Amino acid sequence: MCKIPDEKLGAPIYAGVFAVLTNLIFFSFLFVPMASIAATPEFALEIREHLFYPAEIIVPANTKVKLIVTNQDNAPEEFESYGLNREKVIMEHSKTVIFIGPLAPGEYPFFGEFNPKTAQGKVIAK
Amino acid sequence: MLLTAVIVVLREVLEGALLLSVLLALSRHADMKMFWVIPAMILGFVGAALYASNLNHISEWFDYVGQEVINAALQITIFLALLLFLVLHRADKNRWLMAQFFLMILVVGLAVTREISEIILYLSGYVGKENGLATVLVGGCIGAGIGLSLSIILYYTLTYFLAYRAELLANILLGIFSGNILSQATLMLIQADWLSAQGAVWDSSRWLPEDAIFGQLLYAVIGYEATPSWWQVSAYFGGMSLVWLLVYSLDRGKRRDG
Repeated sequence: MCKIPDEKLGAPIYAGVFAVLTNLIFFSFLFVPMASIAATPEFALEIREHLFYPAEIIVPANTKVKLIVTNQDNAPEEFESYGLNREKVIMEHSKTVIFIGPLAPGEYPFFGEFNPKTAQGKVIAK
Repeated sequence: MLLTAVIVVLREVLEGALLLSVLLALSRHADMKMFWVIPAMILGFVGAALYASNLNHISEWFDYVGQEVINAALQITIFLALLLFLVLHRADKNRWLMAQFFLMILVVGLAVTREISEIILYLSGYVGKENGLATVLVGGCIGAGIGLSLSIILYYTLTYFLAYRAELLANILLGIFSGNILSQATLMLIQADWLSAQGAVWDSSRWLPEDAIFGQLLYAVIGYEATPSWWQVSAYFGGMSLVWLLVYSLDRGKRRDG
């Protein structure tokens, strides 16, 4: 039987659209908040004159921790850490929250990407 | 300060431009006209300016994790737009042309938005100050120059190799790009505490540290992480295999029908 050209394309297009839709449904589940019920320990971190205060934060090991970061400077800063896998811009004169861990015991340096020479610190998990 | 400016801008330009060169090479390989690059860059710059100027408010959304949520949403949008583009393009590249261009603009425009916005934010810290802005701008230009040069090298290398093992290489790159973008989305959601946090699957920071030059390049091109979590690894391989499966089944369907 002779095929209509459109029919040739039908199957792959529908298969593809189906794949996209099923994925959309799957990934929408990612957005269901899964925050733990237990209280997360909180630690404050301040940026002043392109320095971190305190420069060393001691946190419990193997526990998720909430860092509350305040930027007192007149310029934005970017909190960055390779060890912690974190990257977040903190606007001038504002506060933000960064969740870190659970961390194996050890030291995890972080820095301010916009002022890396001065803004240095580390998280110590014990 | 000059050196810092070079490094900050280089890092962001590298991430955006290396990605752009991969997509450009793929688009050239797919015989698409290149005019979509201009609207895509406009979208990138306008999006970045809007994002940067509203970041104060965005950051406060969802209990101070608005930044992460918006970034994750952008990355998932890029992923889905790329999937849809592949479906249309691989099924028949001459059909649904406007939709294909629109999706390509969306993918590239959104992909460079975040990097550009970080450069804007960095520079904004120096605007209106007595000293510094000139130095930072000079440093920024040097950084942007190095980043763009490396991207041009990557673009021509890819174009060269795409001429030989075209299909295979293009599909590998598309898979890596998709896995990478999805893995970054999960990282953002972990940072926001919307996804449960876990320990690292592996730790290669001794062999290939992320802050060394090679680690940085790998991060920019394939999304290398020295200590990834399970969420990231599964999103990476899930996204990658999904794209490969899709491309493979579409191509096979086409071959069978054609």
